[in-house]
Amino acid sequence: MEINNGVEDELEEEEFGFSRNYFLAKELGGSGKKSTRKLSDIGLVDEQELRAAASNIEPKHEKEIVALMNSYKSLYPKWVFELRCGFGLLMYGFGSKKSLIEDFASTALTEYSVVVINGYLQTINVKQVVISLAEVLADQLRTKRANTSGNLSKQPFNSRSMDDLLAFLNGSQTQDKDCFICIVVHNIDGPGLRDPETQQYLSQIAACSCIRIIASIDHVNSALLWDKKMVHTQFNWCWYHVPTFAPYRVEGMFFPMILAHGSTAQTAKTAAIVLQSLTPNAQSVFRVLAEHQLSHPDEEGMPINDLYTICRERFLVSSQVTLNSHLTEFKDHELVKTRRHSDGQDCLYIPLTAEALVKLLAEISQ
Amino acid sequence: MAIASAAAESLTQGTPETTENDLQPFFVFHKASSRKSDKKPTGTGKTRRRIDLSPSSPNKTEKSEPDKAGERDEHCNEHLRTEAFELVWSKINSTIKEILRGINTNVFNEIHQWVLESFNAIQSFGTPGFIEATRSFPIVTDATSKLLFTGMVLTRNMEFVDDLLTFEDLGLFLRSNGCHVANLSSLDFSAKSGIGGCLRGLLRQFLKATFYEADISILASWYREQENHNTPVVVIIDDMERCCGSVLSDFILMLSEWVVKIPIILLMGVATTLNAPRNLLPSNVLQHLCPSKFILGSPAERMDAVVEAVLVKQCSGFSVGHKVAVFLKNYFLNQDGTLTSFIRALKIACAQHFSMEPLSFILGGLLVEEKQKGEKRGLQPEVELKYTSQLSSYARNQMAEQNGKSLVHGFSELRRLHKCWSTVVLCLYEAGKCNKIRLLDLLCEALNPDLYTSRASNNHVVLEKDVGVPMATDRSIRRKYSTLRKGGFIGQIVRKVRDLPALMLYQLLKSWEKTTVDVLEIHEKVKDLQSLLRFEDGKLKPNVDDISKKHSSRSPLNMEKESKEVNEKAAALIDCLVRDYLRPIECIPLHEIFCFKNVEKLQLALIGDPRRRIQVDLLEFHKILQCGCCSKSGNVLLPSMHDTSIMYTLAQEHGDLINLHDWFQSFKTVVLHPSSKGKHKSKQSPNPKKRKCTHDSENKGEASIQARFCRAVTELQITGLLRMPSRRRPDCVQRVAFGL
Repeated sequence: MEINNGVEDELEEEEFGFSRNYFLAKELGGSGKKSTRKLSDIGLVDEQELRAAASNIEPKHEKEIVALMNSYKSLYPKWVFELRCGFGLLMYGFGSKKSLIEDFASTALTEYSVVVINGYLQTINVKQVVISLAEVLADQLRTKRANTSGNLSKQPFNSRSMDDLLAFLNGSQTQDKDCFICIVVHNIDGPGLRDPETQQYLSQIAACSCIRIIASIDHVNSALLWDKKMVHTQFNWCWYHVPTFAPYRVEGMFFPMILAHGSTAQTAKTAAIVLQSLTPNAQSVFRVLAEHQLSHPDEEGMPINDLYTICRERFLVSSQVTLNSHLTEFKDHELVKTRRHSDGQDCLYIPLTAEALVKLLAEISQ
Repeated sequence: MAIASAAAESLTQGTPETTENDLQPFFVFHKASSRKSDKKPTGTGKTRRRIDLSPSSPNKTEKSEPDKAGERDEHCNEHLRTEAFELVWSKINSTIKEILRGINTNVFNEIHQWVLESFNAIQSFGTPGFIEATRSFPIVTDATSKLLFTGMVLTRNMEFVDDLLTFEDLGLFLRSNGCHVANLSSLDFSAKSGIGGCLRGLLRQFLKATFYEADISILASWYREQENHNTPVVVIIDDMERCCGSVLSDFILMLSEWVVKIPIILLMGVATTLNAPRNLLPSNVLQHLCPSKFILGSPAERMDAVVEAVLVKQCSGFSVGHKVAVFLKNYFLNQDGTLTSFIRALKIACAQHFSMEPLSFILGGLLVEEKQKGEKRGLQPEVELKYTSQLSSYARNQMAEQNGKSLVHGFSELRRLHKCWSTVVLCLYEAGKCNKIRLLDLLCEALNPDLYTSRASNNHVVLEKDVGVPMATDRSIRRKYSTLRKGGFIGQIVRKVRDLPALMLYQLLKSWEKTTVDVLEIHEKVKDLQSLLRFEDGKLKPNVDDISKKHSSRSPLNMEKESKEVNEKAAALIDCLVRDYLRPIECIPLHEIFCFKNVEKLQLALIGDPRRRIQVDLLEFHKILQCGCCSKSGNVLLPSMHDTSIMYTLAQEHGDLINLHDWFQSFKTVVLHPSSKGKHKSKQSPNPKKRKCTHDSENKGEASIQARFCRAVTELQITGLLRMPSRRRPDCVQRVAFGL
């Protein structure tokens, strides 16, 4: 009874504290003289200079961070043990956990195949991941019993349905409990994996008997991605608090720099990454627009109708609808923007400089 | 060392160039090495990692001079422990499944009966002839033949996770009774995949093949084939409320059209009330349903049964300490409330135990031994001895010299004592049932070593600090019963036994007799007590032989008094059992091998708390990094601190909106100027006097500070602690978390 009450009190206090903090913060924002200073008052440096400086930030506490990372090494055997027991590992805590997990995989998981998913990227095709998982597993089974491959390769994996593939990964082709593939998911809460459908697939993958999952999260509310079925019966997480304080080097690449002008400006590099994940047709549509912009540097943009006509001529799109779906994709990734032309019609432009655009075109045509 | 260099590389930032792999959505990191095939521990590289496995592991000296034989032992030990875990957990898991299946048996039989009846009813509408049946469109004769028999299975549990297994079991049960069964879930009824999704699911399960163009006529022709007909086709949907209403309606309408050709019977799990279908489905669909109701066991019932089998009777030999039990209870009550989460917590506890306790492999050995009695345990006694000497409880009790014999004796003693313990707990539970006492509560109390020691040591001291025994007259009773001195559930139960009506007491003694049958010493005492009561002419009477000698007249008043005497004796018995036998496992030597006690480890692995923890990481980063430079600062922000940490600490002083300009200026102040003024400065704009550096270096410094500011903002954005400026307020970011 006493314990119960104690716990309840604590909970209540916690909840109360939380709401109190919220209202205090609200009040502080409202009552105090609201600061109306503008960002532009800071005296922002040139964007190029800023980017150059960003790549040359002097690291702090280098020694301590390395020591901290090394201190996690003593946990490796325990992690392997838990993977063997059928749990998934979920790493959280401040700092990039990319090198930590990859080090773990390369030193302690040598007996198992490891597939890495970079969840911090914008778009990830889960089906492709599952296909390559199945291929790795088939490979593994084939080497295991060289001659009795029998029913394995009746149909290539990339033409099978998701259910089939999952059934294959969950199959009992092997009695050996120690035969599994590890998936490492950096940022399972990342932008490319955040939608519910992908999370459902990931949980189904994680639940397969031939799969173990090691994932990292960085967002404080990541746990909201999963329902109880996923948490308790599919992912089966063992949580590990492993702050590293290492910089989010790759993970932060896709975030705009807040002090860069028009903070949404994209570099050619990030644009190229987004474009490469799109279909060849979509890339070609983008190319049409880019070439137009390069050849008409003084115009405000390309009218949609013109773009449509050219794309149709080149058999890139068959209807306005398909073009629009491409454009929506571009706009979502801020590759393309619209503005009002002086004669009143909407036109499209790419928010990149000419040099960046040339570089980008060269990169995607490789 | 790889990690050190990798970390250093990522730290220096000198090379912003990312590797090819960093930008691949996914890639194969490496393939399984060939070493996998040979299971024998040979590679030293592999064993080295496993050396400092357990905190309580052997002498430090042994570690410092790496000795190959020791390493091999270690690895061998780890291998044994993995095996032991698998043995123990599979035993626990199968026990749980068995228990749950047992609870459901009655309902399952009922459902099966109903399925058969429904099938006969469908058959009575007339089976279609061959030509009719092979046509690819449905047969419609009259309204009654379009009825779809539907079983609503009330789960009495809002949490559908707990019932996933139940419906899986139900499927297996019906299949083993000759039905065709398909298990669908709400995922198959999503609006996105539409009716095609659930049809594909059906076809996949019945025909074991995937069809891109799903059509129910495929199912109909399959049903006509060979020996498929003449058996009912059952479709189970485990969480009906979570299905997309329109898809489910279409599905039901379609099935009802085809029911003559394919005698499909629906079973739907309903978590709320019988009204649920009415809320989800339109009336034209509802009229096709012919519903029946079935009720599953309640979650509390299942919980008790699982706790009894796993933690009290200890099917596997694995047990948990008092603190862990209390934690499990609170976790169940406060966190989640599902049996599934409880079982998962138990599994994590089990895995943690086997990964930390070097001697835990003995548990696996014992389990195997139990299975194949007489066969020798495959362990070297020397190894056992080496580890055993580390066990604190063993040393504390100094049981004889340390040799194999005494160890074996220790195990059997532990088992005997524990058997007694679990018997007494079950007796208490039997008695507590009429008081609606939950087994988990009782378990926590029975495992409490403090209560045991207080019971054992000061038998005669009356503790005044009682909970729940307010009456003064109780004091004498309290003195008599050691268990009553402290309140709690055991006290309640003993009191209850004193007041039990004769008939119930009789039944209680009967159940005690059954429970204690394995433990002779307790069993005899119960038998003795039972002989005082006998059942006669539908009434309970104290045994005449014993009592009539003392009382010549047998007035009703006396009768009552006599039966009260039996009550007293029963209470005295249970009290004495508690005192003598309720010895928590933590008070028995060698318990470390079997008993998991590390509640902190369990809690950390089970409940991640990213929201709080990540904030604490930022606010108290020096505690984690343990650097010399920042830990002494107290509350003052130092330039040497981690940038993001400085920023987040500064953000604490703002309201829900943070003006970027102000934030940047205070960040700059902290970074440029050493501690002395530190935090107080932060809210003011920078002092223009302090910007008297040469223009060039200032500009360079400025760029670098702005870049650091940008990076810190990005990092806070990645952690989700900040929301970016909106169009309406381009100069402010929004704080997301308030308080830890």
